[in-house]
Amino acid sequence: MDSLHAIGFYVSAALAGVGGIFLAFLQGNMRRGAALAIVGLGVAGIYASLSAGFAALVVLVGYAGSALLVARPDYRTVEQAAGRIWRQLGAVGAALLLAVLAYAAFRGHFASATFNGGPFGSVALGKLFFAHDALATEAVGGLVLGSLVGAAAAWRRERPRDEREVRR
Amino acid sequence: MSVTLVSVLFVAAGLTALGAFIAAWKRDLTAALTGLPVMFAGAGVAFVGVARFAAASGAPLLGQEVAVLLAIAALSAVGLGIGLAGREGSR
Repeated sequence: MDSLHAIGFYVSAALAGVGGIFLAFLQGNMRRGAALAIVGLGVAGIYASLSAGFAALVVLVGYAGSALLVARPDYRTVEQAAGRIWRQLGAVGAALLLAVLAYAAFRGHFASATFNGGPFGSVALGKLFFAHDALATEAVGGLVLGSLVGAAAAWRRERPRDEREVRR
Repeated sequence: MSVTLVSVLFVAAGLTALGAFIAAWKRDLTAALTGLPVMFAGAGVAFVGVARFAAASGAPLLGQEVAVLLAIAALSAVGLGIGLAGREGSR
């Protein structure tokens, strides 16, 4: 890997990390959507610098769609029932997860291989999607279809703004 | 300056932990849902890194394939979550 790709990788990784931190601490749908788009941009850059151009394209489109959904102003906010202490324990758990994963990455012995694929790899990926792993592709297609139908059916029911207060 | 599998896995670990932190920390469930694509992105980066640096046998682009499927699954999860949260009306 040449130094241009290496710089692209580290810049994209920083972009994804900064976007993730913004996503964690910014308030408001619009800002969270923008932060998710930054994460998507960073992850797509990481993929592109690792010679996964097609995956980068899919990530760019998919995360842009997710960002547009998150940025919508008209969905309800649903507050968690868990208290502050549980959320803090969850945050500590995330830090522990980072420590464990980083330790595994640092101490692991990994095989080394020469990469022979091209920078985009859409033809080889198409063969994998539709011949080698067609069942997995169909399963994800079914998942997407089911979630879209479920989301559309749930979205059709308009809820009053103060429903939660009425229930209390 | 070079990129190795270890540095890719460090980035993947950071993204996964960041996504878990977002999912745990946010009080609003629809905001916590946005941690899911970040976690999936971390997993995808690890898969792509292994496909790039350490796929010694089998289909070399299998990791990229999984990353694509994870990105699509993340989009559908966000769509389903926002849909289930529901539209806020003016009634």
